[in-house]
Amino acid sequence: MKTIHLQEIILITLIGIIFGFIYIASDTIYNILTLVLTPIGYGPLANDLTMGIWCMAGPLAGFLIKKPGAAFLGEFLSSCIETFIMAEWGIANLISGFMQGIGNELGFALTGYRYYNTFTLFLSATTTAIVTYLYDFFKNGYNYFSTFNIWFYFLTRWSSMVLFSCLFVKLIINLLEKAHVINQD
Amino acid sequence: MNPSLKLILILIISLEISFKPNLWANLILIGGALIYLIFHHLSWREFLLILFFPLLGAIAIFSALYFFAPDHNLIYAWTLFTRLYVFVFLGACLTLTTTAGKLARSLEQNLHLPSKFTYGCLAALNLLPKMKAEVIRIHYAAQMRGTSLSFWSPRLYFKATLVALAWAENINQGMLAHGYRENASRSIIKPILLTKKDWLLFLGVLILVQPILFIL
Repeated sequence: MKTIHLQEIILITLIGIIFGFIYIASDTIYNILTLVLTPIGYGPLANDLTMGIWCMAGPLAGFLIKKPGAAFLGEFLSSCIETFIMAEWGIANLISGFMQGIGNELGFALTGYRYYNTFTLFLSATTTAIVTYLYDFFKNGYNYFSTFNIWFYFLTRWSSMVLFSCLFVKLIINLLEKAHVINQD
Repeated sequence: MNPSLKLILILIISLEISFKPNLWANLILIGGALIYLIFHHLSWREFLLILFFPLLGAIAIFSALYFFAPDHNLIYAWTLFTRLYVFVFLGACLTLTTTAGKLARSLEQNLHLPSKFTYGCLAALNLLPKMKAEVIRIHYAAQMRGTSLSFWSPRLYFKATLVALAWAENINQGMLAHGYRENASRSIIKPILLTKKDWLLFLGVLILVQPILFIL
């Protein structure tokens, strides 16, 4: 089993810091979306719309380091940083980060940590959407919504996840691959 | 209370209330957390921030469940409204009374997390203000060349990642040069105690919360 070394832990934490800032910046987008959507009864949808932005650190770390646990650590550590810099959501950040990390890692685990391509990212985005949705289903009371809305919220979250933590992350990775900083074996 | 135990306690309670809707338990937990915070000199500014931050999200969930969900359940809507506040108050009990450094040391000493995680994270965390400055610098540097790198531009993240790669290598070499070895046993400069009192408090609070959560 390939273990993670000190340099990789430092790198994962630094990526967590970069995305920690993005997460805090995107809190503003989340707040504006909530303000717009609440009067029509879709306030919690802001969470699903922005979910993909909050799950970008994991896949990027998983792609850069290519070892078991990297994706989980990337996502979880950035949520820790977010919690300690500015606790808008308090400990919920940490738990959500944990769930997101498990979701991210699951996608990479399903490929046996052997294939690193767009499909891996798509798989990771899908598993993250499922895992985080199951948790929010109870935490945010989605189980009380109408059947239409339960599916609507899920599909919104999945789309956001594919757009940001699959396609957008792939664009960043393409640039990194062109610069030959990702080992491609 | 020992930082690791505090973290575990808060995580257990938060997970429990995520799955168990109980309005009274939420209110009692918020009250308990508030008393704990007041004992730890919670300032007015911090208190108002805690009240203000989750308000928007809480109102969104409340209105979606009360006005727009099929069965207009008022109690459930309030339960989820207060649930967000439980998360934020419990979170504040950790973040306002413990520093990230102390928590990391406690995780290493008390829960035997490998030291590479503690020192790796702490070394990187020291660069937090520098990383912030670096992202802003990348942004301005691009503007000087007539291109705008917004938060939606992959190039911004690409450049920031390149910086992270270079810094990670530098810190790693610096730590090796100062004699840090991943698997070597380490002496402890700042011991973090895990006493019987900590365990009693931990178990006491945990046992006390269960009947409040499941019977009340």
